Amino acid sequence: MFEELWQDVRYGARILLKSPTYTGIAVAALALSIGANTAVFSAVNTLLLRPLPLKNLDQLVLSQALREGFDPYESSLLELQAYQERSHSFESIGAARQRSFNLIGRGEPERIRGASIMADYLTTLGVKPVLGRSFTAEDDRPGGAAVALISHSLWQKHFGGKADIIGETLNLEARTYTIIGVMPPGFDVPAAAAIWVPMQINIASLPLTQRAVPSCEVVARLRLGISLKQADAEAKSIARQLEQEFPQFRRGWTVKLLWLRQALLGDYAGRVNKALVALTGGVAFLLLICCANVANLQLARGIARTRELALRRALGASRSRLVRQLLTESMLLALLGGAGGLLLAHWILPLLAVINPVQGVSLAGFFHEFRIDNRVLIFAFCVTLATGVIFGLVPALKGTGEREVMPSLRQGDQRSASAPGHGWLNILIVAEIAVAMTLLVGGGLIVRSFNRLQRVDLGFRPDHLLTLKMVLPESKYSEHRQRVAFVNQVLERLKNLPGVVSAGTTTNIPLEREIAYDARFSVEGRSPRNPNDIPITSHRLVSPDYLKTLGVTLLKGRLIEETDRAGQPPVVVISEQLAREAWPGEDPLGKRIKRVRPGQDFPWMTVIGVIRDVKEDLFNYRVNRPVWYVPYAQLENNFPVNLVVRTSDDPSSVTTAIREATRAVDPDQPISDVMTMNQNLARVLVTERFSAILMSVLAAAGLLLAALGLYGVMAYSVSQRTTEIGVRVALGAQPIHVLRLILGQGAKLTLLGIAIGLTAAWGLTRLLASLLFEVNATDPATFVSISLLLVSIALVACFLPARRALAVDPMVALRYE
Amino acid sequence: MIKLQHIERCYPLAKEKFFYVLREINLEVQEGDFVSIMGPSGAGKSTLLHILGMHDHGWTGEYFLDGTATHHLKPKERATLRNKQIGFVFQQYHLLDDLTVYENLDIPLSYRRYRTSERAALVADMLDRFQIVGKKDLYPHQLSGGQQQLVGVARAIIARPKLLLADEPTGNLHSSQGEEIMELFRKLNNEGMTIVQVTHSERNASYGKRVVQLRDGWIVKGDQ
Repeated sequence: MFEELWQDVRYGARILLKSPTYTGIAVAALALSIGANTAVFSAVNTLLLRPLPLKNLDQLVLSQALREGFDPYESSLLELQAYQERSHSFESIGAARQRSFNLIGRGEPERIRGASIMADYLTTLGVKPVLGRSFTAEDDRPGGAAVALISHSLWQKHFGGKADIIGETLNLEARTYTIIGVMPPGFDVPAAAAIWVPMQINIASLPLTQRAVPSCEVVARLRLGISLKQADAEAKSIARQLEQEFPQFRRGWTVKLLWLRQALLGDYAGRVNKALVALTGGVAFLLLICCANVANLQLARGIARTRELALRRALGASRSRLVRQLLTESMLLALLGGAGGLLLAHWILPLLAVINPVQGVSLAGFFHEFRIDNRVLIFAFCVTLATGVIFGLVPALKGTGEREVMPSLRQGDQRSASAPGHGWLNILIVAEIAVAMTLLVGGGLIVRSFNRLQRVDLGFRPDHLLTLKMVLPESKYSEHRQRVAFVNQVLERLKNLPGVVSAGTTTNIPLEREIAYDARFSVEGRSPRNPNDIPITSHRLVSPDYLKTLGVTLLKGRLIEETDRAGQPPVVVISEQLAREAWPGEDPLGKRIKRVRPGQDFPWMTVIGVIRDVKEDLFNYRVNRPVWYVPYAQLENNFPVNLVVRTSDDPSSVTTAIREATRAVDPDQPISDVMTMNQNLARVLVTERFSAILMSVLAAAGLLLAALGLYGVMAYSVSQRTTEIGVRVALGAQPIHVLRLILGQGAKLTLLGIAIGLTAAWGLTRLLASLLFEVNATDPATFVSISLLLVSIALVACFLPARRALAVDPMVALRYE
Repeated sequence: MIKLQHIERCYPLAKEKFFYVLREINLEVQEGDFVSIMGPSGAGKSTLLHILGMHDHGWTGEYFLDGTATHHLKPKERATLRNKQIGFVFQQYHLLDDLTVYENLDIPLSYRRYRTSERAALVADMLDRFQIVGKKDLYPHQLSGGQQQLVGVARAIIARPKLLLADEPTGNLHSSQGEEIMELFRKLNNEGMTIVQVTHSERNASYGKRVVQLRDGWIVKGDQ
């Protein structure tokens, strides 16, 4: 048995080597599609399958608060407390709050991401320090010791990885923390934290107003046997109870549980998952097109090898033996293609990592490392074997199916258009065009949707803008007037820098991946139409020149000015959407609006200007959300301060000057996250860009393969019909007749393929609906334009062989007889 | 050895019309016989030979091979019988282009599932007997026509068939090469092998023991 197999392998290899062009084309096509499949699977593997440094990840969930059922927020301590007391779905629950610390005393001041966490947070995640110990309940009690855990990378960077790190101290926000442990390499949950300190709160003793603030990341480990659906139902039931118990805080709020892995990807809307499913479908389609192509090549070769196969039968080969031999050849081709595919995937993966769809910031070392591991290797091997069987089976069965040996032997190598397998060539090419059509329509819709998203009116001019982040430490800037003074001094210096056109500050950079601040609002003289509505606006505290620097469009009134300082009448600039929601059909200028928070009283603010809608909130990018801009000086706050600078030249060229200007005001104040606005924006549509780029590449590859397939079949057909064409020309056929003959044959196949493909696309693209923005899943423009594109490419693919047919010399052609 | 009764072979033409290649063929070939089938082009000689070789299944009538009623056998059973009893030599040699001489001789044994050691011994024996040991690693295109046909004959008899069928075995060879092949046939026949050949050549037919003449699908001289 093994010897026979070895014999088949040797003969197969010899036959493949004998036709290097055929082998090269087939291996290239296979490598392309197996490589694409492997690369996309490695993305699926990295993002959805590969283990993360968290214990039993498939039990970990994150609780998300939802305003009005759709607007995602972090959780509140109120929910955490209710889960702890009432839930039966969770084995353990933990909470963390994102923080950042200004690290002083270890080189240049540095802003470091961190978190204050409850002791249960790390035990829930199932993570232990690699050095030292974790937090205990004693550490976490109010007034507990100032202790900290540090990340592995911080340990390496600031302490050179020294073994006796435990007991060392860190100066964070002018407070000294003792390091008690080092976390495992790569672990940085939540939000790319590098320093963890205990939360040290007693929830029960906190005022309700503080407990109700949605500012915590609540993670929970499901009990064994509890599904996400069951736990989610219980959590929603608890949220309803809270709504009844605390209507002033909880009315209109619900919760949603999602897998922690999904949350870590930043995939709150589930788009990464859907995009990966769509892409997997796309590469599977590409593989089918490739299989049809190679099967066609095999069939055509099978027809040319009719004599050889007949002879083998005459020499005593059984059909199964011949099928096995042909399948061995297919497998050899597939294995070569698979090896090429792995190589291709190896080259593609770094590119995939660059356009990674991950929106989350944690565990970047894991989510950004697209590599070929054992799972990917096994997948590639299985795909290779399956591909070999798929494209090899039909030609093998057709090539060996003929029982009559004599006609084939007699026919020898003569050309015959009626040889067996021609019907299959046509069937496969029609199927190929149909699949390519479906793939192209899917890709077309996603690209169109992405274009729409890219062309969304941001409401500001993102060019020539530089953004920088600062967190003013509470210890140094405990009073608001100190913060205002710092901001004013820094801005004053920046304005005088060469290359700086204007500069301003805001509490949130538009569309950034940070906690975005919101405020509930109340309109003077009006009560909400529906008591369950929670009127909320994006809440931005900005310096006078900020809106001008951002480049917003003022529709009426004026922007914030230097005179709108503390002590002056409170003013506010609002967006069109807020104007529509607060004063539908009325002029809002001069009207008053205020922030509402139970237990706190905020002043009425007079609307002084209305601007065109600005895309402020990352998670509501697809909708217009109300936003107001309040003078930073007029409303006491301790939000982070973000500098936004408009420059005349390359924005990054002024970075050093800005750092120096800030250091001149406060040498201990670190600046972080220096980016151009365009760099910020590039991260907004990462998932959509990932899908659009890959789908368009897949669709283009599918189109190319289908065109090559059609070309191959037509070229083969022309070569088989040389005699017929010669006779026709000898009988007086004009070039146009020959052209019509060949193009007509190609057009028939193409149109049939397109018709089937359109029907399939009509059904399948509906599955993409949730990924699309302002594009219908059955968008007629896409369907029509893709059809026309495919027809044009098909005509080109048919025209080249047709030209060869035109060159047929009847004398030469008839010599075949 | 062979008994044909009322063998007919036709191909469909237009509506319910048929073109008959062979009509009412009745023929007996005894074991050890050497029969030459002759006739003009289109007489049905090769068709008859391929029916005898069980390459063609679309005939009607009765065909007994060594006592077995092949007309009652399924194609797969016929193939088994053919592999056991028949060797076939083609006018065009029909060697497998991608296999060496050695491999061309080995392939029928491989299809008949001979053991490796036995195959090696049989191939070596055949190379020696046909004096082509020095050419065992050459490919068909590196051999002359006569050498190729020599390999074709060696391949046909390597599995020790009782019956050797040859379709114009010297048709593509020049006369000296043709004589060499025919001498070989005579020798094989003398050793007891039954041979049926199709030939146009009176000279080649003279190597046989009797002649069957075909014309327009009918046997016009011989065993009718």
